[in-house]
Amino acid sequence: MYEGSDEPLRPMENADWGPNWDEDEGAGEYPNSYYFYLPRICNHCTHPSCVEACPRSAIYKREEDGIVLVDQDRCRGYRYCVEGCPYKKVFYNAQTKTSEKCIFCYPRIEGEGPEGEVRPPSCAEDCPPQLRHVGFLDDEDGPIHKLVNEYEVALRLHPEYRTEPNVYYIPPYAPPQTSESGETVDAERIPRNYLEELFGERVNDALNTINRERDRVRQGEESELMEILSTVNNDDQYRLEVFDDDD
Amino acid sequence: MTTDDAGTGRELGARELAVAAALALAVVAATAAFPAVVDARAAYEIPVEREASAGDLAEPTGDAWESVETVHVPMSSSGAAVPGGSDTTVESVRVAAARTDDRLYVRLSWSDPTANASTDSLRAFADAAAIQLPVSSDSRPPIAMGSTDDRVNVWYWNAADGTESLLAGGAGSTTEIPESAVETSATHTGDRWTVVFSRSLSSDRANVTDIDSDEDANAAFAVWEGSNGERSGQKAVSEWYYFSLGQSDGASPYETVLWAVAGIAIVLTTLVTVEGIRRTRGE
Repeated sequence: MYEGSDEPLRPMENADWGPNWDEDEGAGEYPNSYYFYLPRICNHCTHPSCVEACPRSAIYKREEDGIVLVDQDRCRGYRYCVEGCPYKKVFYNAQTKTSEKCIFCYPRIEGEGPEGEVRPPSCAEDCPPQLRHVGFLDDEDGPIHKLVNEYEVALRLHPEYRTEPNVYYIPPYAPPQTSESGETVDAERIPRNYLEELFGERVNDALNTINRERDRVRQGEESELMEILSTVNNDDQYRLEVFDDDD
Repeated sequence: MTTDDAGTGRELGARELAVAAALALAVVAATAAFPAVVDARAAYEIPVEREASAGDLAEPTGDAWESVETVHVPMSSSGAAVPGGSDTTVESVRVAAARTDDRLYVRLSWSDPTANASTDSLRAFADAAAIQLPVSSDSRPPIAMGSTDDRVNVWYWNAADGTESLLAGGAGSTTEIPESAVETSATHTGDRWTVVFSRSLSSDRANVTDIDSDEDANAAFAVWEGSNGERSGQKAVSEWYYFSLGQSDGASPYETVLWAVAGIAIVLTTLVTVEGIRRTRGE
């Protein structure tokens, strides 16, 4: 835990590397350069290779909700999990000499958040445009089931790793390309083959579906998919009751 | 050959046999009486020097160690099912052991040109060494960390974090025993690590080996080379050895058997020679 200190937090002087160092780096050529954010947390995979990599079972996947955790008492800092995660989401803490990872803010989900309330993970609650949904995939009344299984617009990152991540992404959207004179051109700005590399072949159907539903909204029709994607109603976004063991 | 001659021959033979038997007994007795004259160390034995007081045994370079016999223990990869489980670098460890009335001192020394004493960055692993003992000192558990019903204690030293006392019942089950009674002292000089482990012989704690001060105690050794990324099951290990704490100051049974065989061979050779000479004389 961060204990706090009298020293105010300041930027590191003459830093030449740090977390997220190379993240805001676009690609493509002006005027059709592009970038998008791909926030990555631990995927809490269905078949977590970090768990497989640990010779002493210090990492485990919780039966009740699938959250993957490092038992800090069992961890001896061998770092096989750090090497074993293809998403690079386990980190070695050189101070504690143990490996650490995203805990999906399980205390908040269990009702030990601020003011003793059940809260969604911080990454979801603190996302400024409130873009994240939290719940169970098999909760058929929830938005995640609809996005993943019904509309098939939410995709796994690098599904070819076959660890079956439980974080899904709506593939990024960018304005179309423009000519040098500034005219809109009928060509996609983010290369489709790059998106296929990230999300697999299914990204094509997903983008087509999103396009179709956007057109419906433009024409004044209703779209459940667009409602789900644009809602800022937390009750719709977070289905935290599914995490309640007593149900 | 007359009947009388034959009788004389038998008498001669009996006399020679008595001499040869006496000689053979002398060989065996000499072996038992003067173990220092011949190499009295059995395979897998770590002789334990008995000292009246600890002196500077706790120091890796202590003078007290100069009179203690050193055993060269060959090491090989543990072959554990971890990445690089067969990739280890340390090929032998020098082991010496000494004891006082109540404490066992074990000194391990091995060649390692790089002293890796930090685990402060992602790919930094520390040099380490360990001594494994069965929890129940008269058993010989599976060498790879024992088993659930035949557990082991591990005296563990690591160049970054010091000493730990561990309990294991099979690979992956290693657990620290709090308030370790094991003490270590280490030094890296001249491309070698030298580490002294010590602990009181007796222990009344559950799951901690109570070393009987007059029974041989099984032990195995392990070394990790940090610069090679060695940790967990990626380690160089020995077979089971034993600290000879038992009271027998003489040769081991193994050696006595060998010398007895030699004695019998002397008897037979003498008899054959006697018989040969007799036949040559035409008796």
